[in-house]
Amino acid sequence: MSGIFNFLANPSRFRRLAERLYPYTFFIMFILLFFGLWFGIYKSPPDYQQGETVRIMYVHVPAAWMAMMIYLSMTIMSFFSLVWRHPLADLLAKSSAPIGAIFTLIALVTGSIWGKPTWGTWWVWDARLTSVLILFFIYLGHIALINVFEDEEKGAKAVAILTLIGAINLPIIKFSVDWWNTLHQPASVIKIDGPSIHIDMMIPLLFMAFTFLFYYISFLFVNVQFELNKRKLKKIYIQNIMREKNE
Amino acid sequence: MKFFFKLVLRDFKLVIKGSNEAIAALLFYILAIIMFPLSSGIESDLLTKIAGGAIWMAALFSSLLSLDRILRSDFDDGSLELLILSGISLEIIIIAKCFSHWLTSGLPLVILSPILCIIIGLDYSYWWILLLTLLIGTPSLTLIGITPAALSCIIGRGGVLTAMVMLPLMLPILILGAGAIQSEISGLGGIGHIYALAAILPISLLVSPFLAAKAIRLGWE
Repeated sequence: MSGIFNFLANPSRFRRLAERLYPYTFFIMFILLFFGLWFGIYKSPPDYQQGETVRIMYVHVPAAWMAMMIYLSMTIMSFFSLVWRHPLADLLAKSSAPIGAIFTLIALVTGSIWGKPTWGTWWVWDARLTSVLILFFIYLGHIALINVFEDEEKGAKAVAILTLIGAINLPIIKFSVDWWNTLHQPASVIKIDGPSIHIDMMIPLLFMAFTFLFYYISFLFVNVQFELNKRKLKKIYIQNIMREKNE
Repeated sequence: MKFFFKLVLRDFKLVIKGSNEAIAALLFYILAIIMFPLSSGIESDLLTKIAGGAIWMAALFSSLLSLDRILRSDFDDGSLELLILSGISLEIIIIAKCFSHWLTSGLPLVILSPILCIIIGLDYSYWWILLLTLLIGTPSLTLIGITPAALSCIIGRGGVLTAMVMLPLMLPILILGAGAIQSEISGLGGIGHIYALAAILPISLLVSPFLAAKAIRLGWE
């Protein structure tokens, strides 16, 4: 296991890996997206109560899952960066934050669009909605803070500390539907006694969930390449200035 | 332990003697509460409904105002480094700072709250729950805010950015504190919210000094 971590500790090695892998992950994402949309729009039945609006679920639920999963992965990365000072962990956490913020926003907006026909309101201050909104603000604070630091490495460590505090919000989001009596329905897929959702709706849901997962991985690779190229450019820029001075 | 109280006493004296910022934060708290009836109309039933939330909002913002400077001056003029060199651990120093911050900005809010309760028109029979939530909630506000405050020291400037980072972390306390009063008024009983608030306090006391100390050490690297 430590072999893998040591292998990935070299950023340029990881950049080459990301460069090679990201076309494949994009390809897999599009295939999954095709199947997900096909099943979601044509092959799954409308709900007996909600009718066709239930199809918003195929975007809303995976986006909400990803919003939490990305924050969880950022927490693990931050832990790695603070404890073992792994150079890649900072980079991955930084590159994940904007994607996570976007997924949180998608979950909030689609939830709001779904809420209007089914609950009769765009927004209620129930525990699940509020805690996801807090998650969105935590993401925004993370993005805002990381860009302030002059020293990039110091900034990454500082933000890692902040990420660890914000992680307390994750269990609150997950269990908010169980702890409080909320308008938002309780979990129906990830729970102890198996999913209570019909298989015809489960298939497109899972396809879309994996689409979003691969979207995250693909854009993580793209963002990491961007960050590393930016650093390289800075280095080249400084080298050029030094050379001009010496001449 | 002897050092701890000396540190608390030192900070306390500094606040009393030196700047008027602690008093300013307290005045801000009172003024903000007075603003509420003026801005949202003086009908008493509406005020009774929003009173708990208004007092909690004001408490949150006044502690936000004063949090930014509790570590900054000591970090900037190097007295924090001198304290470390004298052999006291940074975590203890940070707990002492939090304690003295709470003494100078949290405790006065708690003491004033029954009076403000009358000003804003909250039914006087609910003063105990307001006092209790503030008593448990304001130390947690300080403890949660100390890490972002430490981070703002190493950035070198605070202000809006620190507030933006702090606020989402403090929101659960606001929700629980104001929620306790709301549900007590509506007859559901606010004790459940108070239990949750009381659970946050020891957790933040355990975790945040270490994270804040980590942030300060990062600034020295």
